Amino acid sequence: MSGPEPPIAEADLHAFVDNQLPKARLAAVQRYLYANQQEARRVAAWMAHREALRQAVALEAEAPLPPGLDLSRLIETRLRRRHTAWLWLTAASVLFALALGGAGGWLLRLPYAPGRDAVALALLEQQGLATHVVYAADKRHPIEVAAVERDHLTQWLSNRLNRKVTAPELDALGYRLIGGRLLATERGGAAALLMYEDVRGQRLSLVLRPMARNLHAARADMSEGGVNGCAWIADGLGYAVVAALPDEELDRVADHVRLEWPAAG
Amino acid sequence: MTSSIAVIQTCVPALRRYASALLRDRDKADDLVRDCLVRALNRLHIGQEDGDIRTWLFAIMHDLLASRSRGVNLRGAVQTPYDKDSVAPSGRADRDDGVSRQDLMRAIDPLPKDQRSVLLLVAVEDLSYAETARVLGVPIDIVMSQLSLAREQVRQSLSDLRTPALRRVK
Repeated sequence: MSGPEPPIAEADLHAFVDNQLPKARLAAVQRYLYANQQEARRVAAWMAHREALRQAVALEAEAPLPPGLDLSRLIETRLRRRHTAWLWLTAASVLFALALGGAGGWLLRLPYAPGRDAVALALLEQQGLATHVVYAADKRHPIEVAAVERDHLTQWLSNRLNRKVTAPELDALGYRLIGGRLLATERGGAAALLMYEDVRGQRLSLVLRPMARNLHAARADMSEGGVNGCAWIADGLGYAVVAALPDEELDRVADHVRLEWPAAG
Repeated sequence: MTSSIAVIQTCVPALRRYASALLRDRDKADDLVRDCLVRALNRLHIGQEDGDIRTWLFAIMHDLLASRSRGVNLRGAVQTPYDKDSVAPSGRADRDDGVSRQDLMRAIDPLPKDQRSVLLLVAVEDLSYAETARVLGVPIDIVMSQLSLAREQVRQSLSDLRTPALRRVK
């Protein structure tokens, strides 16, 4: 069945030394080394040097970490500086990790925790950007329910988000609703995406995410990899407007959403 | 992205080990690790599979090193001035094969940068050849040939060290 075994190559000898040799090849390499004393000596030296090298640098990994390399400290420094919304994301992810119990006790080492509003806003921003990046790029299936079924779409989203959802009219600004889809939040809740498109096919996402009634956040800008957005929280709903458009244009849309859509408060 | 932070934290000792073996200067190594962590935190949202985080971190570190040395020295052997005394002393032969830590590091230091990286990633950090190739952004056969060059060079310089001793015995 199997043809003649390929000759032993230099790469096989290294793989032997590094424990990366496929099992099927092991016997062949051992036979080869048994028959070639010269090669066996070379390989033995590699193995000895490999072990010696591991020992020689092992101490570096055991030394106590300086404060500068403590991730919780790094994150804290970033929070203090907070020049972009992304800094909050890290805080949000730490909180989230805590919520999952994965890194429990970890956050407790932070000298202070970011406020709930800020964390909620960060999660909203993160979801807004991620949602736009994933779905707006999808030429054929950016949405689940198309705008031709507008009533069905808003009724469905209202049911799932457990609050009244309407799709704002942005036609006056040059954006036509193409449809929407249901999103999952990392906490297992439901959120919604409404997607719009201008005549050039430039897409704009409006992400709606139910929030606790007592949370509020003023509009904040965010941007990442050519995608811009702004987000705010009002009356128990988080809004994120995201597109590969300049900030001014997004602000215009955000103003419209806030003013034209009663639910946006 | 969440458990990623915990995974990254567990990788820090390995990053330090690699950086200080490469740079042979603990302060510079820690600076590099710090920059690497900051960059990793900045990119966390892009999303990384947990299994790949270690490789991803080494790749970030490699990019940082590459962009630093660009313009300073384009290729070839270590030209970073380093303080030999700053990394652990002990010239004692404390291995049964008689290779002292100092001799070993002396054999590693003159290797071209990429060879040192390959050797450390494979032999110390236990990255697979494919992962090493990904970290360094080169095809896997380049990894194999550099590994081979590195090992033979180290073997050569260590056996050169020992030859005079053998002659004396005669």
